[in-house]
Amino acid sequence: MISQEFDFEAPSALPEALALLARHGDDATLLSGGMSLMPMTTLGLVQPGMIISLNHIAELDYVREDGNELRIGALTRHADVAADPLIGAHAALLAEAASLIGDVQVRNRGTIGGSIAHADPAANYLPAMLALGARLRLQSEAGERSVEAKDFVKGIMTTAIETGEMLTEIAIPKLAAGTGCSYQRLVRVEGNFAIVIAAAITEPGRKAARVGLGNVAPGPVLVDVSGHLGNGLDDAALAAIGDAAFDAAAEAASDLAGDANYRREMARVFARRAVQSATDAADAG
Amino acid sequence: MKKSIEVTVNGKSQSVEVDTRMVLADMLRENLRLTGTHIGCGTGSCGACTVMLDGRTVKSCSVLAADADGRSVQTVEGLSTSAVSLHPVQEAMVENQGLQCGYCTPGMVLSAVELLNKNPDPTEDEIRHGIAGNLCRCTGYHFVVTSIQAAAKSMKEGA
Ligand SMILES: Cc1cc2nc3c(=O)[nH]c(=O)nc-3n(C[C@H](O)[C@H](O)[C@H](O)COP(=O)(O)OP(=O)(O)OC[C@H]3O[C@@H](n4cnc5c(N)ncnc54)[C@H](O)[C@@H]3O)c2cc1C
Ligand code: FES
Ligand code: FES
Repeated sequence: MISQEFDFEAPSALPEALALLARHGDDATLLSGGMSLMPMTTLGLVQPGMIISLNHIAELDYVREDGNELRIGALTRHADVAADPLIGAHAALLAEAASLIGDVQVRNRGTIGGSIAHADPAANYLPAMLALGARLRLQSEAGERSVEAKDFVKGIMTTAIETGEMLTEIAIPKLAAGTGCSYQRLVRVEGNFAIVIAAAITEPGRKAARVGLGNVAPGPVLVDVSGHLGNGLDDAALAAIGDAAFDAAAEAASDLAGDANYRREMARVFARRAVQSATDAADAG
Repeated sequence: MKKSIEVTVNGKSQSVEVDTRMVLADMLRENLRLTGTHIGCGTGSCGACTVMLDGRTVKSCSVLAADADGRSVQTVEGLSTSAVSLHPVQEAMVENQGLQCGYCTPGMVLSAVELLNKNPDPTEDEIRHGIAGNLCRCTGYHFVVTSIQAAAKSMKEGA
């Protein structure tokens, strides 16, 4: 039982939810899977005046194809992201990120929208979102806008979402055939948040490559390593990719799982590993 | 704030008046007296409170009771009709000493049932991944894994 009183609404349609959000502003807190919000509320770390549950809005739970993009509803559960055939075929990096979140129960309930909106520096999706070039759709009663994943996180657990807005959809450009991807996490115990994440994509013919890094800065970091691919992926190229990741991790923080320097060194190792295994995957076809 | 919800629990549809501050585990234990669902950490980490919500395992300490409106919940009590006709997973836990104090067991059993529903013939590694969300302070997991292997075998033979 949560000790703090709050009002509770569970609208069954999006316009209703947006109207509630417009009416209650900062007093309202959205509830998706609750896998972050519920523990924080139980512990008293957040004290919502009103909780608006999105769990009864079936229209927010979908994965569909739209031309060259995949569109994913914010309420899609991690387990469904991990198992979805469209995501598996066109954005396997995302399926991998989802399959490595927490445990079975967390994946059954937690949602992609909730995780992205929560913007935990160690969360799984954001580095993949950057590497994939995702766009996030924010809706409010007044209208909507679209934000590039790379412009979304403003600081630790702080995002571009304004009062009255809700994340409703994630749009991801489909990966072309021949693209390599690899999702690498440094983690001590299964089910824990990662110490460092590297999500790599290499474009067909190795024309370009980029790595999304997680938990090495207040928000995810995108490193373009295309310039290092010129002579194939030899030792010098891998060393340069590692250096680029190390430099990009300059804002790494220290905590019980590892100090800032350790994180930077691990960013180096995991970025290298991710690009190598992405190219291997592309070569294996 | 009070709210009246309609929820199907172990196949029986009922209306329950809940405080909106209640989590699903509170409602099951306090309103419905289904005390097989345990609360360990209360914050989503241990899995003792695992139940099925619309056929999938969730941590009922981290779902608001009011949010279960219109849903279907299955608890460990719904797995068997009496102590002499246990679910094969429960039977195997008893036979293979898959429990000691029993605190984690209802959640562990439901995670095992979910795993075997999706994957009737899991490898040891798949079993360990399947119960990764359920902490056990007693067994060291070994006999839990053996129990689930035994349950898989007996369910296959029974099918
Ligand atoms: C034991 C455990 C292990 C975990 N391990 C990992 C892990 O390894 N990797 C990982 O990435 N995550 C992990 N998580 C977190 C998990 O992925 C959560 O599901 C996720 O962070 C939040 O998603 P949710 O749907 O549960 O959101 P909620 O908890 O419901 O909401 C989170 C926040 O986002 C806001 N919000 C929710 N939906 C929206 C929306 N549509 N628009 C705007 N704001 C919204 C809420 O108001 C709240 O502030 C773990 C959680 C647990 C309990
Ligand atoms: S009591 Fe729910 S996860 Fe521990
Ligand atoms: S048997 Fe005691 S916690 Fe598992």
